[in-house]
Amino acid sequence: MAHLALEHVTKVFEDGEDEIVAVDDVSVEIRDGEFLVLVGPSGCGKSTTLRMIAGLETITDGEIRLGETVLNDVRTQDRDIAMVFQSYALYPHLTARRNMSFGLEESTDLADTDIDERVTEVASMMGISDLLDRKPGQLSGGQQQRVALGRAIVRDPEVFLMDEPLSNLDAKLRAEMRTELQQLQEQLGVTTVYVTHDQTEAMTMADRIAVMNDGRLQQVGPPLELYHAPENLFVAEFIGEPSMNFLSGRREGSSFVTDRIEYPFTETIADAVGDAEDVILGVRPEDVEILAAGDGSDPAREFEMTATVVEPMGNENVVHLEFPGETTGTEDLVAITEGLREIEENESVTVHLPEETIHVFDTATGEALHTRQLELDAQALRL
Amino acid sequence: MSQSTPDTNIDVASLVEDVNLARIGQYVLVILFIGFFLAPLETGIMTALKTNEAVARTIPLAPPTGEGFTWGNLQFALEQLSGAFFNSLFMAIPATIGSVLFGSMAAYGLTMVRWRGQMAFLILFLVGIFLPYQAVLVPLARFWNNIFPLASMLAPTFETLPYLQDYHSNLVPLIITHIAYGIPICTILFRSYYQSLPSSLVEAAKIDGASVSKIYRRIVLPISKPMFGVVFIYQFTQIYNEFLFAFTLITGSDTPEAVVTLILPAVGASTSGIDFGIRMSAAFLAAIPTLIIYVAFAEQFAKGLRTGGG
Amino acid sequence: MGAINIENLTKRFGETTAVDDLSLDIADSEFLVLVGPSGCGKSTTLRCLAGLETPTAGDIYIAGDHMNYRVPQNRDIAMVFQDYALYPHMTVRANMRFGLEEEEGYTKAEREARVEEIAETLGISELLDRKPDELSGGQQQRVALGRAIVRDPEVFLMDEPLSNLDAKLRAEMRTELQQLQHRFDVTTVYVTHNQTEAMTMSDRVAVMNDGRLQQVGPPLELYHAPENRFVAGFIGEPMMNFVEGRNEGDRFVGTYVEYPFDATIRDAVDGADDVVLGVRPEDVAVDTADGVDESDLGDYEFVMHVSVIEPHGDQNVVHLNHPGDTSESDLLHALTGGTDIFEQGSEVVVTIDPSHVHVFDGESGDALHNRRIGPEAEVTNV
Repeated sequence: MAHLALEHVTKVFEDGEDEIVAVDDVSVEIRDGEFLVLVGPSGCGKSTTLRMIAGLETITDGEIRLGETVLNDVRTQDRDIAMVFQSYALYPHLTARRNMSFGLEESTDLADTDIDERVTEVASMMGISDLLDRKPGQLSGGQQQRVALGRAIVRDPEVFLMDEPLSNLDAKLRAEMRTELQQLQEQLGVTTVYVTHDQTEAMTMADRIAVMNDGRLQQVGPPLELYHAPENLFVAEFIGEPSMNFLSGRREGSSFVTDRIEYPFTETIADAVGDAEDVILGVRPEDVEILAAGDGSDPAREFEMTATVVEPMGNENVVHLEFPGETTGTEDLVAITEGLREIEENESVTVHLPEETIHVFDTATGEALHTRQLELDAQALRL
Repeated sequence: MSQSTPDTNIDVASLVEDVNLARIGQYVLVILFIGFFLAPLETGIMTALKTNEAVARTIPLAPPTGEGFTWGNLQFALEQLSGAFFNSLFMAIPATIGSVLFGSMAAYGLTMVRWRGQMAFLILFLVGIFLPYQAVLVPLARFWNNIFPLASMLAPTFETLPYLQDYHSNLVPLIITHIAYGIPICTILFRSYYQSLPSSLVEAAKIDGASVSKIYRRIVLPISKPMFGVVFIYQFTQIYNEFLFAFTLITGSDTPEAVVTLILPAVGASTSGIDFGIRMSAAFLAAIPTLIIYVAFAEQFAKGLRTGGG
Repeated sequence: MGAINIENLTKRFGETTAVDDLSLDIADSEFLVLVGPSGCGKSTTLRCLAGLETPTAGDIYIAGDHMNYRVPQNRDIAMVFQDYALYPHMTVRANMRFGLEEEEGYTKAEREARVEEIAETLGISELLDRKPDELSGGQQQRVALGRAIVRDPEVFLMDEPLSNLDAKLRAEMRTELQQLQHRFDVTTVYVTHNQTEAMTMSDRVAVMNDGRLQQVGPPLELYHAPENRFVAGFIGEPMMNFVEGRNEGDRFVGTYVEYPFDATIRDAVDGADDVVLGVRPEDVAVDTADGVDESDLGDYEFVMHVSVIEPHGDQNVVHLNHPGDTSESDLLHALTGGTDIFEQGSEVVVTIDPSHVHVFDGESGDALHNRRIGPEAEVTNV
């Protein structure tokens, strides 16, 4: 029913003489009941895309369809959608109850008693029954967030659109709301498009993630597919916190070579890399192994490095590593070790980059030539 | 922030540091300025309460004493002005409400609704602000007197209304003129306020399914209450104190429909010279309606200024 | 040199007590992070140090001098604000020079040289002639720091300086700020509500709640040996699991789980009635329940089902519930490796090793017992 399709959607803003392409030929299908997260850095066009679905921006080119209906020329007021805004956009002069009932009064012919019943029901589901007679100014950020969600849910729309709804909450509350929102969406089964710049939200909440950059769609897929099999440098860097490590260098024979190190490729990797010249080696911080002295068994892929900064997180430590002789002040690698493993700052350590964890990218195009090997099958990645 | 209770053992050295010549100088200057600004006001009040003879005899700043004190000036001025008060309020209140309401609507249409040719309309409004009064006086008089004599058309109707006389219909052209002239500045004031409102509010209402006029009535209008306070005070003061249009459209101080600003110059003037006591009393009485408006809307006014609109 | 002593500091605003009898000694050149939820009094404490608020009671000493009645400009401190508070009409150079102009003993050339030198260390030399609104958030942040450093104060005060940056930039600036503080070796008091910043940057962390100091110590001491339930819950992300129940002498009894106490714990919790069991998510081991018979389970093993799984890539947060529990809230959260994936709704076996368990008093919240750490790990010193 509520299958949402974007086909070659383009948005061009005219700024005097200049034309700014905010969204460039984006095609993506969102299945009925799916939770799709649109993620990317600020200015990547994700919010513009969402606003086009809502009808708050016109579509320069392409088509947006909801089920069989083409939405391009349907007025915002007549699209069966509900949106949650970053600022919540609650009406400040109305009580929470009136905020929630406003949409039903405007868009349906329901009797007042029916509306009231729906509002009460959704409010109790959201745990805001006692707040219904307060105005937004008397609510905390988290409570406002719930009212804003309630306002969307009460409408029972075909599609939920959410524009960074959690970004004004503090970290603990955000983590809580993340799970709650996800469970709510599952329970209601409403097709949802969720925009965020926060990759953690994207990873933890999405059925599928669409990564955007510079107005273009980079990759669409389930969270773990993007994490373990990124199609290009941008996705590899954007997904994952701390970011994937990148070392730039050249392919010489079947080895990767920089000023500091030489790293032999396995046969599989060498085949995948082919005759690309300039390549970038990528490895996730949790895959960088810091070995105890004399513990190595793969000397060709082990390197002496210095720990410059150790950031304890409790459950893990983030260790910043430099190749010896480096004076640039920027670290070469970041590794994650267990919380109770102690590494001193300025300590010399042996670092192992296991062959099966290596990604290789083409420097010129940024395309992934090889992604890490995983024992998991593709099905598992879809969770 | 509320007051904090200071510690008991006070550091004398740092207190002494605070009391110095610069600070004394500052206070002297402040007191001088207060005197400078309050002296004329004091003079006015004192003169209003003095007999004519006392005005001539004492210096203006001195308070009236014994024989020199009188309420007579105020009583006389009130009698002279009472009709004019009614006329002024009958004219100023609808004119203010009209211009503020239309200004707010226009600003909403020019700011929060997108349509083609918006810019041209906005420029038209801006031009309206800068059009000088003097340039339109003659055409205005011709229009209301010869081309479209609304006042004489309405006169029979007005006669039948309670509290009103036929001559009150002469105020209607003045009301319409003030509304027309007030809309541009009200529009600009509201526009800057609406630009500061988050656009997501209107977008949320749109997604909730509300039409353009519903959004204005149910969301924008209630939210702009503080700004209404500001613009209402400003506009009322302007219209109530206006002289030129009133003088052009209502012929003179001797007509029964004359407003306060027309009567004021004539009060206390006679062949034997100007009676300053009466003149001052009338001036203070004339200021009272604007003061009442300020007090009534003070809270909204402060809120409106805080939200950065005006 | 720049040691700070705070003695019995109390600050009241009318009826509300923002800071309640706080005593804290900060060593010279130490990096102390004051952390707590919003409204806990951490910013008020910082503002008292800066002289922007007057203490209601108590004394503040900086480098041995009594500060209570000194105006901010005479305290030899520099402050970095959350919104940077750069002067928008001045260039970066003028912004940085401004604080120096108030100070005597510099010639014009010396001031210029000092600004250039600091700009160089911060990598903002090419930005010196721009105005603040031509800079990105990260650059503005650097200028704000530069403006503080250029005055060479005894003490840096920082009020959530990183909270306006995005996640990646914040992580970068965290490391950079820490390195800068090491280089200039200036006593720093840093206020944040973000426990990650507190953990990663500080020499010592002071946790506040409701105007009261909860615990002061090195980051890992707070993480592994919290003195009360508040600190245990506040430090660590995802947060520690708490299970409420009763102490029945030899075991813990909750609504859904029973957990046997060993001798050490038994002694520590002796006398307490209501107790709360605490265990960090990374210490909750999860394994598939395939072919496991309930009767085979050990004392420290439980069958649970997975209600939600949040993949982070490098790790997964698994939300666990007891099969009999129908309430919305989860019983436990566990952290598993990024490639250990469990189906949502599947049954799993959860193991909690007794050496990882914390026990708190149910009423006072005080820690009765903290997790045991092997002798090879010295947790108080990183």
